[in-house]
Amino acid sequence: MYAVRQFGNGIFSMNGREWSLLVACLLAIILFSVVSPHYATSGNAATVLRNSVELLLIGLGMTLLLAMGGIDVSIGIVMGLAAIAIGRVLGAGGNPLLALVAGPMVGALLGCVTATVVVLGRVPAIVGTLGLLGVYRTAVFVLLGGQWLSGLPSSLTNLLATTVLGVPVPALVIAIAYLAVWLALRRTPYGLHLLAIGNSEEKARLSGIPVIKTRFMTFVISCVLTGIAATFYVATYRNVEMTIGSTLALDAIAAVILGGTSILGGRCSLIGTVLGVLLLRILQNGLLLIGVPSLWQPVVTGILIIGVLGFEAVSNRFPLVQLLRARA
Amino acid sequence: MTEPFLVARNIAKRFGALTALANVDLEIRSGEVLALLGDNGAGKSTFIKILAGAHPPSDGELVIEGSPVAFSSPKDAASSGIATIFQELALSENLSIAENVFLGRELKRSILGIPFLKRKEMRQRVDGLLKELDAHISDPEAPVGSLSGGQRQAVAICRALNLNARLVIMDEPTAALAVAETRKVLALTRRLAARGCAVVLISHNISEVFEVADRIVVFRRGRKVAERLAAETNHEEVVSLITGAHPDVRALEKPN
Ligand SMILES: Nc1ncnc2c1ncn2[C@@H]1O[C@H](COP(=O)(O)OP(=O)(O)OP(=O)(O)O)[C@@H](O)[C@H]1O
Ligand SMILES: [Mg+2]
Repeated sequence: MYAVRQFGNGIFSMNGREWSLLVACLLAIILFSVVSPHYATSGNAATVLRNSVELLLIGLGMTLLLAMGGIDVSIGIVMGLAAIAIGRVLGAGGNPLLALVAGPMVGALLGCVTATVVVLGRVPAIVGTLGLLGVYRTAVFVLLGGQWLSGLPSSLTNLLATTVLGVPVPALVIAIAYLAVWLALRRTPYGLHLLAIGNSEEKARLSGIPVIKTRFMTFVISCVLTGIAATFYVATYRNVEMTIGSTLALDAIAAVILGGTSILGGRCSLIGTVLGVLLLRILQNGLLLIGVPSLWQPVVTGILIIGVLGFEAVSNRFPLVQLLRARA
Repeated sequence: MTEPFLVARNIAKRFGALTALANVDLEIRSGEVLALLGDNGAGKSTFIKILAGAHPPSDGELVIEGSPVAFSSPKDAASSGIATIFQELALSENLSIAENVFLGRELKRSILGIPFLKRKEMRQRVDGLLKELDAHISDPEAPVGSLSGGQRQAVAICRALNLNARLVIMDEPTAALAVAETRKVLALTRRLAARGCAVVLISHNISEVFEVADRIVVFRRGRKVAERLAAETNHEEVVSLITGAHPDVRALEKPN
């Protein structure tokens, strides 16, 4: 399994998986353009990119988590709580700069809670974050009091709708986040430790790696990125609804796995995650435009996850498929 | 006789109801190769995991050069100059050779307070170590998971060498190796000892042990049952000590 794989260590290293995703994106675009006359417009392209902003940021954090052998299924509702905090600051007529830091700060705080439960409390990540998902869901309900936060002032929106040197602020923030995560992963001891833990936590411990610190940090980083995502969410929609973020964790995990990050840990692809997010959003948008109700979106995501993991399981099990792959 | 580098006093280890080690007293000297022998499950790996900081002892103490130490992690043991090559090797299969050799003690430079890896320097040091070991590895950037058993052993030994350890512990280092590679590892244990390093070697191969060891210690059912200078014992005696047929061991085990 290791023999045929080359390290994708460069900032945009593309292997077979990444190229296939790129081709899949292009094919989907071509297909939808043929089927729907409304598809291939610059307005729709902007919509797809706009819809990808939060998931790109959250996907970067989820890539780190999965590569470390961790997971966080409460990430969508973490974004919800951060969004409520931002909304409250804006609603109270607060300084938009304060609204800007509210998201990452609430993210960091919730990240510490998650890390305390999962890392210090040694509760398996999937169980611990599922438990927190329940707690946070109720917290959102209580905080919103059964009503939407809506009609928020546009100060934050105006702040983030600008461009810097012709580059839209969301694109700039995503580029910076991507670069930072890539540097951390491939150029610092932290990244090596994270990948070693993903390979085997016990071996990592025997190697003298600070396992607890590395795991703690990663859960916090993921939630901080989610807090930044919340900022863009509120700036765009200027409301916070009860069901906020309910499919985000599913989408993020799907995109990351599509991108070639191993669900078992130890191996990941950042550019794969970016392409995975784009493919997911292209499919969701295209299906909507050709008349498939949005109710079906999670079905598509679910099928993608099961398909990819199923294919990987099969190809690792059956020698014939391995042989074909080795020849390819 | 040189002053011991490490003294273990009355070491015990219990895993729940199971007593894996009891009352182990042992001295490890610099410049000497000490062989630990014993049947499967005798407690050899457990003992060296205590030396390596991977398990805390349930009882007893470790003394390094006269002062007591308590390791709470493998990192502590490493900073006291103890390098361990575990039976399971503890390498990260998904990382490259250089990354494995330096894992947990990377060379780094600080830029704006962020530690960045000095990848080139690490790579150069590892190339030098591999040459010194005479290990033939075509692609040092390849993940360790793609290497053969012998090559992985070489990487684990590089890790130990790179630490400039005062005590190198090897748990069955030759078990997975072919003849030529076994010879290299055995020669290396002698070279380490000649450099003034203390070496602890665990092996099931008795002829191999007689080739390199200065002293032989036998474990049986979690106890140290014998200690001999290699020059003053022979193959048959050691076998009888391991199996428990030796009169000394019988006398020791009689009361129970
Ligand atoms: N982490 C653990 N938890 C529970 N029991 C353990 C643990 N590690 C070792 N043991 C038990 O302690 C005893 C001694 O095991 P150990 O691995 O030290 O033997 P060994 O002498 O190294 O054997 P071998 O020659 O097979 O490697 C065994 O009965 C083993 O099952
Ligand atoms: Mg053992």
